[in-house]
Amino acid sequence: MSKASLEITNLTKKFGKFTALNDINLKVTEGEVFGYIGPNGAGKTTTIRVLLGILQATKGQAKVFGLDAWKDAVEIHKRIAYVPGDVNLWPNMTGGEVIDLFVSLRGKHNKTRREKLLKDFDLDPTKKCRTYSKGNRQKVALIAAFASDADLFILDEPTSGLDPLMEQIFQECVLEQKNNGKGVFLSSHILSEVERLCDRVGIIREGKLVETGTLAEMRHLTRNTIHVETEKIVEGFESFKGIFDLKQKQNILTFQVDGNEIGAVMAHLTQHNIKKLESTPPTLEDLFMLHYDTKGG
Amino acid sequence: MRNMFTGNFENSVNLMRSMLKRDKMYIIIWVVLLVAFSALLAPGVNAMFPDEEARLTVVQIYDNPLMISMMGPIYGKDAPGGFPAGAMYSGFMLVWVILAVSVMNLFYVVRNTRGDEERGRAEVVRSLPVGRLANLNATMLSALIMNTALGLFTGLGIAVMGVEGIGFGGSMLYGLVLGLSGQIFAAITAVFCQLSASPSGAASLSGITLGALYMVRGAGDSAGNDFLACLSPMGLASRSQIYVENYIWPSLVIILLTVIITALAFRLNTIRDLGQGFIAAKPGRAEAKKSMLSPFGLSWRLLRTGLIAWVIIMFMTAASYGSVLGDLPKFIGDSPEYLQVIGIPEAMLDVMSDDAKAEIIVTYFMAFISMMMTLVCIVPAILAAMKPRSEEREGRAEHIIARVVSRWKYMCGFVTLAFILSVIMQFAVAFGLYSVTESILETNPIVFSELLKAYLVYLPAVWVMIGFAVFITGLLPKASSAVWGFYGFVAFLSFIGGMVDLPEVIKGISPMHHIPQLSPTQLPLGELSYPPLIILTVIAAVLTVAGFYFYGKRDTLTGM
Repeated sequence: MSKASLEITNLTKKFGKFTALNDINLKVTEGEVFGYIGPNGAGKTTTIRVLLGILQATKGQAKVFGLDAWKDAVEIHKRIAYVPGDVNLWPNMTGGEVIDLFVSLRGKHNKTRREKLLKDFDLDPTKKCRTYSKGNRQKVALIAAFASDADLFILDEPTSGLDPLMEQIFQECVLEQKNNGKGVFLSSHILSEVERLCDRVGIIREGKLVETGTLAEMRHLTRNTIHVETEKIVEGFESFKGIFDLKQKQNILTFQVDGNEIGAVMAHLTQHNIKKLESTPPTLEDLFMLHYDTKGG
Repeated sequence: MRNMFTGNFENSVNLMRSMLKRDKMYIIIWVVLLVAFSALLAPGVNAMFPDEEARLTVVQIYDNPLMISMMGPIYGKDAPGGFPAGAMYSGFMLVWVILAVSVMNLFYVVRNTRGDEERGRAEVVRSLPVGRLANLNATMLSALIMNTALGLFTGLGIAVMGVEGIGFGGSMLYGLVLGLSGQIFAAITAVFCQLSASPSGAASLSGITLGALYMVRGAGDSAGNDFLACLSPMGLASRSQIYVENYIWPSLVIILLTVIITALAFRLNTIRDLGQGFIAAKPGRAEAKKSMLSPFGLSWRLLRTGLIAWVIIMFMTAASYGSVLGDLPKFIGDSPEYLQVIGIPEAMLDVMSDDAKAEIIVTYFMAFISMMMTLVCIVPAILAAMKPRSEEREGRAEHIIARVVSRWKYMCGFVTLAFILSVIMQFAVAFGLYSVTESILETNPIVFSELLKAYLVYLPAVWVMIGFAVFITGLLPKASSAVWGFYGFVAFLSFIGGMVDLPEVIKGISPMHHIPQLSPTQLPLGELSYPPLIILTVIAAVLTVAGFYFYGKRDTLTGM
């Protein structure tokens, strides 16, 4: 059993009457890359702010490295690096100055790493922050984070303003940290990014955590899309258990099937001599939509 | 090629309408305040100085190079019909009001040109069927409407007051000169908006130019060099000799210059790209200086420009107050109202020699302004103490406290600076006053150590104000305007305290009330007693500590 880097127990956060987070339970182990997905206003940023000790939990507990996120914030921050979703910087400071400030407020300064990241992300550090676009401000925060020697990276929609090329650089940075055994808590909208980087995923909706697990686990619980062509025409298939969205054109079938019914369905189909079979696992997007469209789990 | 001209200006009028609509409040507030200021002060001249003799006495006092360099020349002292009240009014007012009108135009032009470009709004507008110069054109046209309204209403406003010696023709010329001065500065700002690539760059270049034009005029006026003074629109405006000769030629010169400068701005606008300027933004530091890499260093970096400016401005303000001390006894010695305001019992002056009288007046006057000066010095201290709150709202505090910096340490940098600044400001004002009195007064009754003491004694009250700001930031972050409300209340009490009888309980709410006014000379005045000072200091400390306590306990409210 590896140790937990983050542990959230029964966390509730209210702003006045509005409940932003409702009884969240979440555990992330050390060295794990965890994807935290959900639409705008679901509570992703609030969760992160509680983890950082910027907001205080109304009920429940948030622990980072076994320490209390609120009380031991400073101690925790020695081991984490954070990139906010909306990077607001001081208009009259240069990007270079801000990076140096951020890095030095954490601890050690690694100059070669800073220069390498500046080059990779293609950022001009001599420009004042007021002239930076959203993407460039995000780069400032990302460079400051990845130039830090942290054990856990908390990233709040870090790539929403980056172009695809920079998105690629970002993913490489995350994978590099992952290979070094560092943990990443990544809140994101970009599902392909989460799919590529994350070991486990949590889906949050309206302040509630509706699903957590590895992508494989989540897929197991959900329906695969099957496209099959048989020699003999399958009849009465629609009455089969666990079949959805069936479209039949004589001997060609397209349908979705529940994970736990797939064995029986396949056995039945084999009797009709399968000529061609394609099975598509649900993408994260499908999982996501499943949770948001049908409001089911 | 026929469309070359019309094409560039396409849709200007529509844009202008939308500008006027969206800046309605900006324009109305500025114009109403300026018109009210000009109109309401007009009767004051005659009320305070009802006859020519009184006016001439006052003008005599102000007729020294320093005052002229600040206010501009006063004409008509030997006018055939006697020295008119209007001449005094426009001599005292015109340059200052033009400064205010210029500032109004400066921000108006910057926000509608560079401001829109930086926020990306200009891009959206440009993508519509709108001419390349339409935005600038609309800005200049709407500024013209704003300045016309200002000039017209000011002229009518003053004329309506029906003050003797402030005639209709002169008043309308006064309004015209104001409006034209505003428009020429709108044009000057428009040029800088083409040169500099950022709104703040354009605003500061325009601001520096305004300051320079004011100084050139001051140098020319005080040295009697008309040519030098006329290099500045303010100098030109003074040369209208309003209410004396009512010359129109300076207005014509200003119009001509405005047309030329506006044309230049248009020309520059056509040959530059959207979002770009002619002055390339010079690259800043690629790396941070070591000194800013700490919470304290950061707060200094964020506050320093403003704080240094405040210290310099207050030093100069104090010096200019000091410069009138020499003539002061003549000026106010015989005015019972003035004596009451600064708190001298009239009986005190009855049986004394002129020298002794002068010393008393200087003493009381200095004590009176020490309170005023301190009230102004409180402003930057509060601003520094509340900086963590504005940083929090802008989402920048989050960067710092999400790193290895505790909330207390973060707040501590700003609050420490506020306290240090409060001491420096009192020193700056005392030095400013003393630097001038030493050279201006023949027998200087002011003892520097006493003067300094008279200022430093206010510190406990200033600290209470800082403490209150910290307290509110910690406990009621969303009610930060309460700090300014309390400040307004304290300032109000300080000004009317001497004139109106209010219950001691109400007066006592203001920390300023418990501070003795100490004499800067060897004359006895207020008595220094320590208990109230100690109590105020303790209150300040308690408020500050409580503020820190609550700040450490509450959520950080980004964007709220």
